[in-house]
Amino acid sequence: MAFLSVEHISKTFPGVKALDDVSVEFEKGTIHALMGENGAGKSTLGKIIAGVYTPDKGVIKLDGQEVKPTDPRIAQELGLAIVHQELAFCPNMTVAENLMLGSMPAKAGFVNWNKLRDRAKSLLLEIGSDIDPDTPLAQLTTGQEQMVQIASCVGTNAKMIIFDEPTSSLSTRESEHLFELMERLKERGVTMAYVSHRMDEIFRICDTITVLRDGKFVATEAIASTNRGRVIRQMVGHEVLTERPKYLDLQPGEEILRVENLTSTGKFQNVSFNVHRGEIVGMAGLVGAGRSETATAIFGLDRNAKGDIYIKGKKMSIGNVNEAMRRQIGFLPEDRKRAGLVLGMSISDNVSLPHIDHFSPLGFVDRKREMIEIEKLTKRLRVKAPSLDSITAGLSGGNQQKVALAKWLARTCDLLIVDEPTRGVDVGAKAEIYHLLDEVACQGVAILMISSELPEVMNLSRRILVLREGFLTGEVVRENFSQEALLHLMA
Amino acid sequence: MTTTLGRPKFDFSKFPEGGLLAVIVVLGLLLAIFGGSVQLPKFQIGPDGKRERAMVTNAAGQQVPAFETVNKFFNARTLVQIAKDTSFFAIMAVGMTIVIITGGIDLSVGAIYALASVSGALILSPYGPSGGGTATVLGVVTTIGVGALLGFLNGAMITAFNVHPFIITLGTMAIYRGIAFVQTNGQSIGGFPDGFRAFVRWEWLPDLSMVPLVVMLLVTIAGGIFLAQTAIGRKVYAVGGNEVASRYSGIRVGWVKILAYTLTGLAAGIAAVLSLGYYGAGSSGDGQGYELNVIAAAVVGGASLIGGKGTALGALLGAVILQMISNGLVILNIPQNYSQIVIGLVVIAAVLLDQFNAVMAKRRLLVRTSAIKKEVASAAESAASSTK
Repeated sequence: MAFLSVEHISKTFPGVKALDDVSVEFEKGTIHALMGENGAGKSTLGKIIAGVYTPDKGVIKLDGQEVKPTDPRIAQELGLAIVHQELAFCPNMTVAENLMLGSMPAKAGFVNWNKLRDRAKSLLLEIGSDIDPDTPLAQLTTGQEQMVQIASCVGTNAKMIIFDEPTSSLSTRESEHLFELMERLKERGVTMAYVSHRMDEIFRICDTITVLRDGKFVATEAIASTNRGRVIRQMVGHEVLTERPKYLDLQPGEEILRVENLTSTGKFQNVSFNVHRGEIVGMAGLVGAGRSETATAIFGLDRNAKGDIYIKGKKMSIGNVNEAMRRQIGFLPEDRKRAGLVLGMSISDNVSLPHIDHFSPLGFVDRKREMIEIEKLTKRLRVKAPSLDSITAGLSGGNQQKVALAKWLARTCDLLIVDEPTRGVDVGAKAEIYHLLDEVACQGVAILMISSELPEVMNLSRRILVLREGFLTGEVVRENFSQEALLHLMA
Repeated sequence: MTTTLGRPKFDFSKFPEGGLLAVIVVLGLLLAIFGGSVQLPKFQIGPDGKRERAMVTNAAGQQVPAFETVNKFFNARTLVQIAKDTSFFAIMAVGMTIVIITGGIDLSVGAIYALASVSGALILSPYGPSGGGTATVLGVVTTIGVGALLGFLNGAMITAFNVHPFIITLGTMAIYRGIAFVQTNGQSIGGFPDGFRAFVRWEWLPDLSMVPLVVMLLVTIAGGIFLAQTAIGRKVYAVGGNEVASRYSGIRVGWVKILAYTLTGLAAGIAAVLSLGYYGAGSSGDGQGYELNVIAAAVVGGASLIGGKGTALGALLGAVILQMISNGLVILNIPQNYSQIVIGLVVIAAVLLDQFNAVMAKRRLLVRTSAIKKEVASAAESAASSTK
């Protein structure tokens, strides 16, 4: 009998059916992947098990007994916990305080600080983490924060842990650490559900996979008896091709960007490279290697950077976004919700934002011209939304990313820097973004692409630059691409 | 097949001020119905062209002053009176809305209003009642200029020190009013050129003072055009919606904020000019507590303190609603003391209504998005089955 089973679960949010009669069984001591496109309902299912949401219909059975985890606290008491992206902690308190938040060791209302620290420390040791319990949570990296969340789950004796896209902002090394930890938890008999977009990880660590599509159950299969193509087909109904980009058959043009000895203390040191017209240059490295920081500096958002940046052979001043934009540089930032989009604004307002002065002769916005140009663009990018007036907050991740990209395609640019262009994007939109980048490169734009997904950089790039701890450790040309060679330079 | 992105069509749900207008109409109807009628002295234009009391002959054959019975609320005099009372707040609320859209707040508007007014008064007063056009222009320019300058200082400090606007303007609220007090020793300054006062107090018909009303409408129109039609207006919304993303889009966030505070100061300066002309004096105690009324008007008008949301027309209508309630209580013979309580309740109710409206809008969007999603999915499925 399954350790935990959800039976005929339905959940409706205002206007959208997130889950429709879904049944899944989780076997004890296994890692069970929940897969699906954005909006397929996998996160919703995880949150229902962890008591974040209450289902409209259906039952949850734990060891055959019906349970009702109607809020996260009750779920915790039942041994059901969730590790997710949005931090459930207080950033200004220390790791120890956060870990013990629900059960502060106290006497007569006063906190026993020594006991608090000791307990937190032993919890962290239990999961093999050397984080200092006195560190304020805000100072930890995302990976470390996740370790703390897991420690907290272990601390509450969780029998089932749901991981909701845990690796989407982790470096490869941090992910490795997470997987080791999951293996150990598995040995201890902990049941796990793993929600992720990353096929590689799922096929590596999971035992079973359940695919959801549009809130409906599609299939549950043992990992051994399925394969990627099959899973992707189940997810989207069509296979995503990873074909060779077309720009590779064209000759790259003149040098667009040349960076010489770019340094920003504490972020990256003496980085030098160039990018030519009509090529995609990949940038690989672990989180914290200084990739995004380098990109941010090239785009003029780091005033402390030193060194030389040349655009088409002409020197550009450091720390001036407006000059970077005048020199036709576009930048798709890593975190679209934080830096890529104004979520409360419409699609059209977002797309035209960097060019609003261009659309406004004499200071007044020429709405008609703005709309015509943006409509052309969103059609080309196949943005799916009710209208150009739709607020971007309501769009799916893939469509949001397309809008964020459209911002830089609205006018010609010579250099396009894309930082994690397909993060948190479903398979279908991913393929579309790959095609788009290829197309843009074919049109003669120089592209610098940062990505944590090695298959992605390896498929799209002509050359790959590798950074490690702020230093450029190597440049690999396409003929020599291999996971081993790149990983060797990264770690 | 892909879903085409149509260009936006006009949709009544996208006219957020519609609700405010409805509230104003309902309030007006209620006041007209429940306010009852009142007897007002009747005037007429005499043979010499001057205004004089109309007389009637009573039963005893004596000439007595005539009265006319009018609706207590729905008569030209009361309506213009409300409009005039509204104008000071509405003008400042338009400026405040711009600041609130950037995600900021300006607690010092009342103090800017006072210091601008006192500065103008100190320029105008020495010319005395016989002062001419030069004096008037000088006074008006000073008042508005000081307002804008004080606003600029707010914005510059907020940007340069990177301190929350609440703190900076809490400080300048005391500083500006303090300077006004020091300048005048707490005395009221009056004795302005007659021409200036006559201009501001100009009446279209007896008792119908139109200048504040017209200035209020002009400021609202200018603010509306600025926010909705100009590139800078778009940037104001972007900065309030997401400062980081704005910076990543090449917007000079600091300058946008400085401009917003400058415009709020400018609006306070314009309101101060009207008050100088209308009341004929300026003192350091002017506009005490106005900041709260002005912020309330902006919020009732739909501006969100989180930033990114608000309109100039909303600010005007918000101010009108608050003033109608305040005057309405008098019309309904409810003690004036209750007006603060009612206004407080209205502010909270307005925000709750706005939240409800946002939820409904989100629901509508979700319905449309999920319909599109289904369409896309079925298209993908049919494409997949046709390739098999």
